[in-house]
Amino acid sequence: MLLSAEKVAKHFGSFRAVAGADLAVEEGEIVGLIGPNGAGKSTFFNCIAGDTPPTSGRILFDGVDVTAAPAETHARLGIGRTFQVPATFADMTILDNVMVGAFLRHRQQGAARDRAFEVLELTGLKEQWRQRASSLGTPGRKRLEIARVLATGPRLMLLDEALAGLTPSEIQRAIELVRQIHALGVTLVIVEHIMEVILTLTRRVLVFNQGHVIASGRPQEVVEDPAVIEAYLGRGHARAARS
Amino acid sequence: MRRWGLLALAVALLAYPWLVAGTDSAAFLQDTGALVLLAAVGASAWNIVGGYAGQISVGHAIFFGAGAYLPLLVYQHWQWSPLFGVPLGVAVSLVIAVFIGFPTFRLVGHYFSMATIAVAELVRIIVGNWDFVGAAIGLQGPATARGWYDVIFRSSVPYYYIFLVALALVLLVTWRMQQSRLGYYLGAIRAGERAARSLGVPVRRYKLYALMLSAAFTSLAGSLYALKTGFIDPDSGLGILVSVQMIITAALGGAGTLFGPLLGAAILVPLQTATNTWLGGSGSGLTFIVYGGVIVFIARFEPGGLLEMWQRLRTARRGRRGEARHAA
Amino acid sequence: MILLQVIVGGLLLGAVYALLSAGLTLIWGMMNFINFAHGEFVMLGMYAALLALTWIGGGPAVFGPVAALALFLLGVLIYFGLIRGVMRGPMLAQILSTFGLALLLRYSAFFVFSPNFVTMPPTVLSGTLDIGGILVTVPQLVAGGVAAALTLGMHLLLTRTAIGSQLLAVAEDRSAAMLMGIRPDRMQALAWGLSAASAGIAGALWAISFPFSPAVGESFALIAFVVVTLGGFGSVPGAMLAGFLVGLIQALSGYLFEPIYKDVAVYGLFVALLWFRPQGLLGKTT
Repeated sequence: MLLSAEKVAKHFGSFRAVAGADLAVEEGEIVGLIGPNGAGKSTFFNCIAGDTPPTSGRILFDGVDVTAAPAETHARLGIGRTFQVPATFADMTILDNVMVGAFLRHRQQGAARDRAFEVLELTGLKEQWRQRASSLGTPGRKRLEIARVLATGPRLMLLDEALAGLTPSEIQRAIELVRQIHALGVTLVIVEHIMEVILTLTRRVLVFNQGHVIASGRPQEVVEDPAVIEAYLGRGHARAARS
Repeated sequence: MRRWGLLALAVALLAYPWLVAGTDSAAFLQDTGALVLLAAVGASAWNIVGGYAGQISVGHAIFFGAGAYLPLLVYQHWQWSPLFGVPLGVAVSLVIAVFIGFPTFRLVGHYFSMATIAVAELVRIIVGNWDFVGAAIGLQGPATARGWYDVIFRSSVPYYYIFLVALALVLLVTWRMQQSRLGYYLGAIRAGERAARSLGVPVRRYKLYALMLSAAFTSLAGSLYALKTGFIDPDSGLGILVSVQMIITAALGGAGTLFGPLLGAAILVPLQTATNTWLGGSGSGLTFIVYGGVIVFIARFEPGGLLEMWQRLRTARRGRRGEARHAA
Repeated sequence: MILLQVIVGGLLLGAVYALLSAGLTLIWGMMNFINFAHGEFVMLGMYAALLALTWIGGGPAVFGPVAALALFLLGVLIYFGLIRGVMRGPMLAQILSTFGLALLLRYSAFFVFSPNFVTMPPTVLSGTLDIGGILVTVPQLVAGGVAAALTLGMHLLLTRTAIGSQLLAVAEDRSAAMLMGIRPDRMQALAWGLSAASAGIAGALWAISFPFSPAVGESFALIAFVVVTLGGFGSVPGAMLAGFLVGLIQALSGYLFEPIYKDVAVYGLFVALLWFRPQGLLGKTT
């Protein structure tokens, strides 16, 4: 069990963003996290990534209790994440962005640089290494974020809507990239709205709604689950689906 | 172009005292030169934490003061060579740096800035009332040299070269830092702390490294000041003008750039000396009004300072030239 | 008995500290922005009151509102002229903007008003009262009372009125507020006006009892930092509570040790807070 999140809850005052969610991920899996907006997916993600501590519950990564650990520790242990709104270092070059990631495992500038170039090659950004990150459009920035995280050598990667806003051909390229990363041995948890991506990439899916996990299983099954349809489209549609 | 420019700068700096030796106001020009270099050392030191790490210290005088007081202290009480006080000043500064930075660097940036003002004021009040360190009167260094170790020279020229070595040192260290993991991590912290954390950057620790490095060099600047002027008191060592000057010198030239502080010093020190003779007395109200206005202007319109403004104009011109070529 | 008097005096002064800090915490909570020139607003309120008394006459009932109005306008002007422009910029620009502004305001005041200490001429508020053996001057009592009332008023304004909830909405979530038709710009300008006005009135109240010069802004800024940190980020009730505490601690240290130490105790408290409880009494842990 690479990642184990047990009864994780996150309250903001009286608002329960996450009201008790469990997630178990084995090494080598690609797990999907879906659900309507405001369901608590990103907050849950943030708890797992160490961005914000859960109000209650436990998170274990490879047997280590990381529940209260800061994000830096999560990264050092091997959890990497991208952000829903890309947070690339705008005024730094593409190479420098990735080098920041590479420095986690490589102390020397030379080694970090080499590693960064490797990753840029893999993610198809090598030609633009000298450009400023701010010169990239959103798809480029998402790609850069992935490259930057990859350079930290993660064992688990959390992708937060990394494919949102991409054109169909870009989506295909992105799916290819995710597959390549997976082939390198990285376990993935993906938050997505695009069903095609979920169905293509993941073998297991969890559905969030109002802070709870309301369904889990294979993508094809989950998509037809009435509870899931109700969460997205309302009761009427669920009834229609059932009949 | 860069390497030639650097070489030219180095040669100019090395030759300057000799170049002005023949003129009428040689001594004055050489002294101004020394003061420019000293200001550049202090501002470059501030630049490490304020420019590169993006943590704005508005009470940096506290490190300058530590570096200035210790050499004169060991002389006044035990007749030691003031040089012994230099490493002591650095040690005290490092302790203060950790004392301020450790609790505040885990919080949002404003706390650090507020803390620097509070601690600077605290120390100024304590020092101003503590006889051991001279209270309001201050401390004095040796009047005449007992040997080379008292570092007393009649002419400004030896001081000029000592300060030049110090400046070269701080710039070299800053440059190496820029290329190293520390430099990249500081840039990341400045560009986006949350993202930096997600990449494993130990934010608090690295901010502390930057502050400690900055404090050590600021202390050195203070020591050099004390060695040259042979006098220190709460105003000249710990007063707000000291902090303000470091900030404005670095920010005017370009905070976060290697040569910004030197550029700022080269502009501000001669300007201040010139206006002092018109307006009467350094630290006069008018100086502060102008400094305040300049800082506001830089903050509002040109936070990257003159160097960034120049860079922008250069790329704009190159762009236009490129367009013209394409049109032809 | 003297101890009790010191305590009462400290609390009354603390109310003034609460009022002068409430504006700072409002801006901080709303815009995540520390105004390093806040102390200068307090100082300018004193001079505005002095000028009003000298030119217009009347008493506190006149110069109080005049100071408030003058500072309100200054606050709004500063928001539109400077703050709005740096909000989008780097941290360096944000912190330097008000730091530079503080220098500009302080030394312009030195230039215009002279560095000498001045006092407000005696007004209708004079005399000493004997309340059960404790001597309190009328200015002290009025200043403390008015300050407490105004701070409470500010809290009620923020929590019970429509304008107040609009201000808080912008603080909470700028984009959501915009979607609800609230203009963040206007609200933030209003906040700056309120912040400056409250600081100005606090200054005017304080000046009735004490001599002042353009130099006092700096120490008031530090007091405001301490009160705001002790009270908790963005909390006006916190500033109220913390104001009383700081006033008390300051008075007691001055009495128990030497007068020099009253400021040292306050700054020392600040440092201790940073080390052990930066969220203060009523703030959240960020």
